[in-house]
Amino acid sequence: MDYTSEPHGMFLMIDNKSFYASVESVERGLNPLESVLVVMSEADNTGSGLVLAASPMAKREFGISNVSRQYEVPDDPRILVVPPRMNLYIQKNLAINRIFRRFVADADLFPYSIDESILDMTKSWRLFGSTPEEVARRIQLTVRHELGLYTTVGIGENPVQAKLALDLQAKHDKELIGRLTYESFADEIWPITDLEKVWSIGHRTAAHLNRLGIHSMEDLAHVDPYELRHEMGLIGTQLFALSWGIDRTKLREVRPPKEKSWSNSQVLPRDYKVQREIELVIREIGQQVTSRMRHHQQQAGSISLFIGFAWDGQADDGRGGMHHTHRIAPTDNARTIIAELLRLFRQYWEGQPVRNIGVGLARLSVSGSLQLDIFQDPERQLKNDRFDRVIDDLRDRFGKTAVVPASSLMRGGTMISRAALVGGHNGGNSFD
Amino acid sequence: MGGIALIDCRQEAAVILTRLDPLFTKQWHCRYRIDVVNNQYGAEFNFFLDIRRKDHRERSIPLHTVKTTDLETLERVISAVQEGTQLTLNFIDFGQVRWPLSQRWIR
Repeated sequence: MDYTSEPHGMFLMIDNKSFYASVESVERGLNPLESVLVVMSEADNTGSGLVLAASPMAKREFGISNVSRQYEVPDDPRILVVPPRMNLYIQKNLAINRIFRRFVADADLFPYSIDESILDMTKSWRLFGSTPEEVARRIQLTVRHELGLYTTVGIGENPVQAKLALDLQAKHDKELIGRLTYESFADEIWPITDLEKVWSIGHRTAAHLNRLGIHSMEDLAHVDPYELRHEMGLIGTQLFALSWGIDRTKLREVRPPKEKSWSNSQVLPRDYKVQREIELVIREIGQQVTSRMRHHQQQAGSISLFIGFAWDGQADDGRGGMHHTHRIAPTDNARTIIAELLRLFRQYWEGQPVRNIGVGLARLSVSGSLQLDIFQDPERQLKNDRFDRVIDDLRDRFGKTAVVPASSLMRGGTMISRAALVGGHNGGNSFD
Repeated sequence: MGGIALIDCRQEAAVILTRLDPLFTKQWHCRYRIDVVNNQYGAEFNFFLDIRRKDHRERSIPLHTVKTTDLETLERVISAVQEGTQLTLNFIDFGQVRWPLSQRWIR
């Protein structure tokens, strides 16, 4: 394989070892690699509790994984359980990225998730060491000294090599550093037979590849890429490139998808059976999504409603839920959108107990003008529009619960109790 | 030392005691303890309520963070906290140091 025309850069993919659990350990004066600590969410919709993160020792000694349920965690006094503080983790993530900015230009730092970042160090790495490993070590030590956290680093000549080096090598390395190059790629990656371990290959894709007689990365690298493309579509080409460690992404030019949409969903704290209560939550979510959309000066031309049934409430035909989409005249008015949502709900709901509710707004266009409806009082329409905007302003200035509909105080409302959550979990103490 | 005057020690202690109140449920066979951590990485003191019920998982619930590195401020906060609760205080990562006001060992 001739790699000379491929991009040769120096990329680091850095992630935090058990991020939430490590942050909580440091806050308590414990070493993140030695503590047996579990971050458990006890929000009222996670049932008995959900493990958000477990420290490396908790994973090793007790086999606790990040998606365990509370009842799966042994009731052992050696385990320390702590509640999540999402706001704190966001702050720490920002602090870590501030450290990274000392090593790369702002435009070459790409936060990938709450605990992973990609650093394009092609231009700057020689300033900080004579080998990529030395630079990686230096970044690790800086983060460790300033924040007390351990980081894992994957090094590659392009982003995908860095990601694979992180997932497949660094996490098992004593120094927590892994490195892949075009030259070493085949030796290191081709022997892998458990395809699901490789980034971007999920359970279904792995099964599909197995059906095609592909059982290792080496097999994948030696199929006819045109046949693979014929069989799997564009993904086939992408997988083939992956097996050779090729990635031509220019991170600076990554563009967001054109067709955006807004949606919110939530798991209810118990099964809702009363129509009035379910509709109350639909109203609240509708209100919330519309308000998010309005902040971006957009209006929606399509609404969708998702209703997930409780386990014992599955429809007679075995459906676990329902999802309906409806086109509407473009609007950013919450009342209109909510009225449409409720109409959809009443049309299709047949009395099943409900556990999940989601609302989506799509077919977005720029708002800024108000299309009056000739069948309604124009003064009323203008007033409704102004009303929405005043509510938005109030919430921006004084917080989400500054004004709430009186209906949210009724049984079943979730808006007030969820206002303090971040990503659906406890944000931590306020005033800290 | 500029920011010290901004911290109202009574207020800080009040926040800790208010959060402690609903958590300290006085169960049988249960040890309650307040952990005070000198967090070198954040230049702050963290307060946690540590709850350990016999043969169960230990729990640690954040109460408050006092954003200072000044021991005198902390000493004032601590004495205000002790007026409101008699729970044991456990000091973590302070090393061998005396309180600036009372001159007792921190422990």
